Amino acid sequence: METNVLMESVKFMFLGMGVVFLFLTIMVYAIKLQAKLIGKYFPLPEKKAQEVNKPQNVSSHMAQKVAAITAVIHHEQQKGNE
Amino acid sequence: MKKTIVPVLLALFMLLSVNAYAGSSSVTPQEQEEVHHEYKEKSITQLIDSFYKTTGIYSFVNPSDDIMTAEAHSEDARPMTTFEQTWGRLIMFGIVFLLFYLAIAKGFEPLLLLPIAFGGLLANIPLAQIAGEHGMLGIIYNMGIANGFFPLLIFMGVGAMTDFTPLLANPKSALLGGAAQFGIFGSLVGAVAIGFDLQSASAISIIGGADGPTSIFVANRLAPELLGAIAVAAYSYMALVPVIQPPIMKMLTTEAERRIKMPKQRKVHKLENLFLPILILMLTIVFLPESAPLIGAFAFGNFLKQSGVVERLSDTMQNSLINIVTIFLGLGVGSKLAADKFLVLDTLGIMIIGLLAFSAGTAAGVIMAKIMNKFSSAENQINPLIGAAGVSAVPMAARVVSKVGQEYDRSNVLLMHAMGPNVAGVIGSAVAAGVLLSIF
Repeated sequence: METNVLMESVKFMFLGMGVVFLFLTIMVYAIKLQAKLIGKYFPLPEKKAQEVNKPQNVSSHMAQKVAAITAVIHHEQQKGNE
Repeated sequence: MKKTIVPVLLALFMLLSVNAYAGSSSVTPQEQEEVHHEYKEKSITQLIDSFYKTTGIYSFVNPSDDIMTAEAHSEDARPMTTFEQTWGRLIMFGIVFLLFYLAIAKGFEPLLLLPIAFGGLLANIPLAQIAGEHGMLGIIYNMGIANGFFPLLIFMGVGAMTDFTPLLANPKSALLGGAAQFGIFGSLVGAVAIGFDLQSASAISIIGGADGPTSIFVANRLAPELLGAIAVAAYSYMALVPVIQPPIMKMLTTEAERRIKMPKQRKVHKLENLFLPILILMLTIVFLPESAPLIGAFAFGNFLKQSGVVERLSDTMQNSLINIVTIFLGLGVGSKLAADKFLVLDTLGIMIIGLLAFSAGTAAGVIMAKIMNKFSSAENQINPLIGAAGVSAVPMAARVVSKVGQEYDRSNVLLMHAMGPNVAGVIGSAVAAGVLLSIF
């Protein structure tokens, strides 16, 4: 009798842990799917739009700076030559 | 004009109140007569003697057989034993003062412990029957604990307080919250092994979820007679999270692991937060309608918060409402700290199983984190400490994790990372509760 009940509780354990993990695993994938979908269709506020734009902004900013600096250097060099 | 109105109104009120008095006295003439009838002249010594018999000292020194236990349902009452009337009460006073000490001096979840402990203090007062059907504690108990209503309100408030962003940013961490539910099912086997029947064992083991409301909800359905001890165990262990968890966490991890820094979390779209409660509720509807009352209340609270258009409602849920319910829940649970209910062998078993359950949950979370590290790349390593937050005591477990993490590296802030498994633990234990309810 005793062992029987114990076996029963072990079965509960497998069922319970199985269901908990199944539920959470499905939830994890659903969350990932949701993130993908939302990222695709509503990328506006602060997600992909900025992530994609930022590097461009930064690089164009950098390019402008570099251009300015080279222009100044060029100017100085010309001054020196004169 | 105004000056004349005020006295007129006053006079009116006085008249009405006099009438009310007259009315009330005319309703109970019998009662008055009876009192009058029984009264015989008493000498001053007799008066003092009869007064002495209503004192606490008398009831302590002269326990009597016809004193009944105070029960929220009066038909459950039984005569109290001599021990329960005398030393039992004193022991309970001692326990209550210990709880006061832990709450005030040590700061262990005073929000929960103080109402519970004070409820226990009131419940152990002789003769007053505060925990009885018509006493304050009994009324509170019947109002929301015996029918499982308060736990749902608490879940609503917790939902309105919960920010799922850390979970959304790192969904994988939900698995840690799942592993920690091993505390529930592992201790289920343990409870059966020490002789509880399957149904009681299931109700007790839910303590391992470290989730007070869920414990009350399940105990109420599966083993109402053990509800008091289970609730007290669940809440006191939740309060003792800062004591129970750190040694287990330290035992199972190396110092290098405890120093692991986790990458900054990605930004989460508002819409993800908005849809998540609905998504969780949908999954519940599909797989586990038994958990729906708990998860439904939780999702409701969270949805209102994330909608951003009902600030007032969500504010009420996460502040005033949950505070009011916490007061009631604490006092109601405390009513089960009466000596006749608490000082029984079952309680001891429940406390032991509860502690094991809690420790097993913590350990399983940490071990799961270590297993996950084995399978992930070097830059995606997680700090195994956050596994301990998988038990659903929100947000204490996460805070404890953060604190332990900072003991080893002050710059390592794990709080947000630990919140992921923590909120997943809430869902996990609600799911586990649904599984247990589905069996019986």
